[in-house]
Amino acid sequence: MSLTILLIDTEENRARALEEKLSQSGFARVVRAEGPDLAAAVERAKPDLVIIDMALPDRDALEDIRAVSAASPVVMFAGTDDPAFAQEAIAAGVCSYNLSGVALQDVRPIMASAIALFKRYHHVETELAAAKALLNERRLLERAKAILMKNRKMTEPEAYRWLQKKAMNESRKLAQVVADFVADDENQQRESKP
Amino acid sequence: MSEVIALKSPRSGTRLRIGFLRLTDSAPAIVAQEFGYFAEEGVDAELVEEPSWANIADKLAYGFLDAAVIVPPLAFAIELGLRGISQKLVIPCNLSLGGNTVTLARDLALQVRETAAKKKISAPHALAACLAARDRPLSLGIVHAYSTHNLLLRYWLATAGLEAGRDVRLSVVPPARAVEALQSGQISGFCAGAPWGEIAARAGAGINIASSDDVWRGAPEKAFAVRNSWAEENPAALKGAVRALVRAAQFCDAPENASYTGALLSRQKYLGVDSHAILSSLPGGAIAPHNQSRFWRGAAMFPWRSHALWFLDQMARWDLIGAVDREGLAARVYRCDLYRASVVSLGVSLPKTDSKSEGAHAARWELEASPNSIAMDPDRFCDGVVFEATPAQVTF
Repeated sequence: MSLTILLIDTEENRARALEEKLSQSGFARVVRAEGPDLAAAVERAKPDLVIIDMALPDRDALEDIRAVSAASPVVMFAGTDDPAFAQEAIAAGVCSYNLSGVALQDVRPIMASAIALFKRYHHVETELAAAKALLNERRLLERAKAILMKNRKMTEPEAYRWLQKKAMNESRKLAQVVADFVADDENQQRESKP
Repeated sequence: MSEVIALKSPRSGTRLRIGFLRLTDSAPAIVAQEFGYFAEEGVDAELVEEPSWANIADKLAYGFLDAAVIVPPLAFAIELGLRGISQKLVIPCNLSLGGNTVTLARDLALQVRETAAKKKISAPHALAACLAARDRPLSLGIVHAYSTHNLLLRYWLATAGLEAGRDVRLSVVPPARAVEALQSGQISGFCAGAPWGEIAARAGAGINIASSDDVWRGAPEKAFAVRNSWAEENPAALKGAVRALVRAAQFCDAPENASYTGALLSRQKYLGVDSHAILSSLPGGAIAPHNQSRFWRGAAMFPWRSHALWFLDQMARWDLIGAVDREGLAARVYRCDLYRASVVSLGVSLPKTDSKSEGAHAARWELEASPNSIAMDPDRFCDGVVFEATPAQVTF
């Protein structure tokens, strides 16, 4: 048995990985689509199942498509007694629509692959975002210290203590105080320019 | 260096995860959060931006969200399990009136305007006249099948004898993709909430030829929907959240605050679009507004039973719901009692009834309320119909 799956995912590496995984397993043929006219893509591919990244706005369009079966596509495991599986998919950020009434036992391994991949990519993304945030905080702190050292003739440890004290007095996070301090300084620079 | 990220303020209060879309009328929830109104009421709110109504529906249904700024027809669809598993919801307050536009591709819009002026007919009649002279059917975008936009647009078209499915093809196009779809010719127009009509106009792709008010003056738009189980487990926090939203709505409704609200909403984590496009539909944000949201005045936050019944009536009209006990459903979801109980301590005036005649007022009028009457705007439908939400009208 071979199912046709329409995959809507703009994250190129993840989409390719899932496409490979499902195609290798032999029980699914994967077609990819994106963009504003998903109705046309559904009509062309006539998929049994649509798998979509929940971060895309296109889910609303999909819910209204009546191309394959006469009825509207059925969202994820609606009407089944397995909310935990649907919850796992939502937590991973992936959703599926059953368009041709595929049996649940056939959908399950496919969605399990998708969920695993989305989880892995999500993990990488969050780590990346955290690393970027930390780097940015460090960059701003260096900048704030440099401003204090230049304008107020402080030493580096003095500048750091000054910022720390300011954060403590205002009971705010050091990172926030630093960010505001740098932003204020930049605004002043801009205003003082003719 | 580790203290830079380790300094986290402890969170307190009852956790409330609120889903919202990138729309101008998400303003009260955003303002209540940013100004600390939720926190002051002991509510630890978390605002979650979602890219689709489908996400809002699924996350409410599966418990990933406790509440949402929602279009009321979708709340009924979730309650009835029409597009996934069902989840019981309550609406303790409405959040906005008006704010949608009907936006047509430039050429078509100019043609409709010219026809309307020449023949002295309404915009939908002019659209019908233009369609008669076209060889291909018109395709218009809406934001979701269970949206206010779908119901308002169908109502407006029907006044000129145009029926969706027969004379006009309605398809769902996410508003963030509407400009692209207009330019590619995939659609010839769309009905969506602010700021998307304004964004299409600024991009030179479309012209706004009607607003919610042109279909129904003061049409209810977004509501605050809460999972019934959360509401029952956290009665005090629910009332606090409603009070926080009242304060925010009062702020958003004051014309002098428009530019501030517009700038706040334009931030990347909220709407992430040009603040001027947002400003034009905020109260006080434009000199000659053609599309405006109202958040507080005219009893905008009261969850009128008659609003709920109008939505259900229209959903039935277009076969979006089957035979359901509409009166019972409206009473179960639209909780006037919760609104009254929440705001009584604020001393604001409260209507003396839970329902009103919809469409009966062509001019400004006074609503009977306690302690003081409330000044109301006109509420006419474009076809002059008066909708009376009396139980006798409900069919089982």
